[in-house]
Amino acid sequence: MTTKTRYFVIASLLVIGVGLGTGMVAYYVGFPAGAFAGRGGPAELDYVPRDATVLAYADVRDVMTSELRQKLRSAVPIPENGQHELEAQTGINIETDIDRIVACLYPQRESTIPGAGMVLMRGRFDAGRIEGLMRDHGGQVEEYKTKRMIVASESHGIPGGSFAVAFVEPGLVAVGSDRVVRMAVDLHQAGNNPNAGVESITGNEELMNLVRSLETGNAWAVGNFDALRSRTRLPENVQNQIPAITWFAVSTHINGGIRGVLRADTRDEEAANNLRDVVRGFLALGKLQAGGRPEIQALMQSLELGGTGKTVALSFDVPLQVFDLIAGMHLKDLPKH
Amino acid sequence: MRVFDLSLGQMLWSRRSVFLGILLGGPVFLAAAVRLIVEMSARGFRINGATASGSAVFGLIMWLLYIRFIIPILGVFFGTSLIADEVDDKTITYLFTRPVPRRAVLLGKYLAYVACTVLLVLPSVILVFFLIVPMGGSTIAGAFPSLVTDLGMLALGLIAYGAVFALVGTRLKRPLIVGLVFAFGWEPAVMLFPGYLKRLTVAYYLQALVNHEMPQDSAASVLLTLFHEVPSVAMSLLGLAVIVAVSLWFAGRAVENREYVLEQ
Repeated sequence: MTTKTRYFVIASLLVIGVGLGTGMVAYYVGFPAGAFAGRGGPAELDYVPRDATVLAYADVRDVMTSELRQKLRSAVPIPENGQHELEAQTGINIETDIDRIVACLYPQRESTIPGAGMVLMRGRFDAGRIEGLMRDHGGQVEEYKTKRMIVASESHGIPGGSFAVAFVEPGLVAVGSDRVVRMAVDLHQAGNNPNAGVESITGNEELMNLVRSLETGNAWAVGNFDALRSRTRLPENVQNQIPAITWFAVSTHINGGIRGVLRADTRDEEAANNLRDVVRGFLALGKLQAGGRPEIQALMQSLELGGTGKTVALSFDVPLQVFDLIAGMHLKDLPKH
Repeated sequence: MRVFDLSLGQMLWSRRSVFLGILLGGPVFLAAAVRLIVEMSARGFRINGATASGSAVFGLIMWLLYIRFIIPILGVFFGTSLIADEVDDKTITYLFTRPVPRRAVLLGKYLAYVACTVLLVLPSVILVFFLIVPMGGSTIAGAFPSLVTDLGMLALGLIAYGAVFALVGTRLKRPLIVGLVFAFGWEPAVMLFPGYLKRLTVAYYLQALVNHEMPQDSAASVLLTLFHEVPSVAMSLLGLAVIVAVSLWFAGRAVENREYVLEQ
């Protein structure tokens, strides 16, 4: 064998050996995917408890400054009562203070209402002002694992226990049910440590796979449909009519229009085919109903049904012009002064 | 052993090396390009509106590039030329005058073909796997068992196609044309129809070992899926083993008995 051939054989065997070795380590030991791809999702997911049933993310800054929002805001004046109420209660202005948010719903084991939840907000916050406002509304300041927390008692009518605000780290505030906020602080202090009973959602491989597939949007949500269904007391005949969906996901990219995808993972391929048939029927009906209404026609044309195997996907791409038409219709309907 | 050694060097550093480089570098280049686009794009890799997982894309590459194209074509080009090249170069006399059975010469060359192609194809597949799989939510750990199956299946494919085309190369006059017709005419055509004829192909047994969904990229693919009759793994392995053994035995016999008249 010539030296050239020998080098080739060695190099080839080396690639095979390293490839198989790496795969084997990943399979048996489970090294972080970060060696080849990002873990996926925003960094705040590290502080979300593992059992969250619904997880949502929004790049608030991106959405707020989007062309679409500016256009809608000028065309259709939207009441901003909720926004003002939040600012009055917590001192947080969504428009200017928040860069991005991660929200999660955490169903309480003792309740069928998936009420407990938390919103992690990344941005610029005036801690003193927030604390002062919360105190004015009856909040109690306490320290939990070296983190400052303001807890409002149950009497304030908040579902899922007391309401709490915690400054998890500079520029990161956790707002939500007291129990979940404390778990976020635990996760911040101890990290993802299943042996110590502190587990973050990043350890939920099934959900993280979905999150990674949604990252292209600046707003997305993913949820365990099975868990939600089991916690709602629906009549049995209604339960039977609901398609056998295990996970659902929505991802949108908002800028000059909205494009995105609605995705549902079903229990088996048959359920996926049934769901596809149902959606196809609705799409056909929608197209028929659109008739001579150009804004609805444009919307319907942007819908595209897809997905393979157990996945059903409905993608949409609504251009800015459709919103112009909708805004035009809205203005036409307004009473003239 | 000496024939194996000599043939391996010849196969690797011949004019075919350029062809081999393009053939096997192509998927790696394509995978790198796809990965780069996905990393740079905000929308990810999408098929039918849904973000495609890395495993699905890898499965697609396996079917369309490796199973349907690269493996048969490597078998055709290298398998048919095992003896034909020596005849064309008029060097067969030197090999056959050695005190080695003619059968052993063929076997040595065949083993060199297997080593050469396996050492080229498997690293290419592994590189494609690591470039493509970590996209769109798939994980290396999750897809690793399928990679191991794929590597085994591809190696078996190279072994089987090589044996069949070695037989074609030793018995027929224009082996390359016959080989191409068999691999890209007979095999895909027979697979489209129901019946027993497909059992006379390598693809029938090989495709049963593939654990990726068959892509439905054309009307032919839809027909293929429709008439996709899958033998069991044991049946496939047995089928491939019989094909290799029978082909090599007949090829060996042809080399032993045939009188090679070299054109002057």
